Amino acid sequence: MKELSLNILDIAMNSVKANAGTITVSLAETPESFEIRIADDGCGMKRDFLETVTDPFSTTRTTRKVGMGIPFLKLAAEQTGGSFSIESKHESEYPDSHGTVTRAVFNKNSIDFTPLGDIVSTVTTLIQGSPGIRWIFKHSMPKGEVSLDTAELKEILGDVPLDNTEVILWIKGYLEEAYSEIL
Amino acid sequence: MTVKELAEKCNFKTAALPDGSREIDGCYIGDLLSWVMGRAEADCVWITIMSNLNIIAVASLADVACIVLSESVTVEDSIVKLAEEKGVNVLLSDKKTYETAVDVYKTI
Repeated sequence: MKELSLNILDIAMNSVKANAGTITVSLAETPESFEIRIADDGCGMKRDFLETVTDPFSTTRTTRKVGMGIPFLKLAAEQTGGSFSIESKHESEYPDSHGTVTRAVFNKNSIDFTPLGDIVSTVTTLIQGSPGIRWIFKHSMPKGEVSLDTAELKEILGDVPLDNTEVILWIKGYLEEAYSEIL
Repeated sequence: MTVKELAEKCNFKTAALPDGSREIDGCYIGDLLSWVMGRAEADCVWITIMSNLNIIAVASLADVACIVLSESVTVEDSIVKLAEEKGVNVLLSDKKTYETAVDVYKTI
């Protein structure tokens, strides 16, 4: 993918499909490295399936025989000299602490590092698409941090749904402003 | 034109040829796999320098007739084995991508 934000969208959609109640997207940036961590409390994966997810011929989709979100993110990280890992606890074995954590670390100085792209659109698209989920987004950079927790928004908004167009536009504006302060 | 005939006429080596009688229609060039996945057309020759496992999956999804690895790129045995299992033809060219594409253009 031309932008890492599209990889993030793809991986976060796996969490949505796993019926997660809370999905945390954390980006941690230093001058040299860029880390993406996506954690959810969804149903998790069984051990034998987990072992095959980086294989491009395995997938949870039934419409085609291969799923490429995880293999593409792994490739994108590894081609910068970075690393990739995925850990998961399936609900059958861990009834109280199930979920999945996907982590990719990039070397920002590699010529093959893919730019992050339009992360604000990715975050708003995710919230709008699944307003029932608690979304926690954090992006820490050397100069500061951008963060958003939809649980806090819900407290303020009361009955106004998160996928209300004006709420989404507000979130977009809020994130853009937060970024403009630390970039 | 079949994949086997293309390989012979263009002097491509064959890394995997599980379906050499497959007919070719067109050509696509690209190395960004997600991009190729959505744009390469079925039955085309796909020229790339990427040689990791994911190319076999992309070739299979996009249903290309064959992959041509240009620029003397080599491919691991494990990937050759997977290509054979999945019915994906993989050819090798020692020419640069542009020249490889010109040869394909003149041949098909």
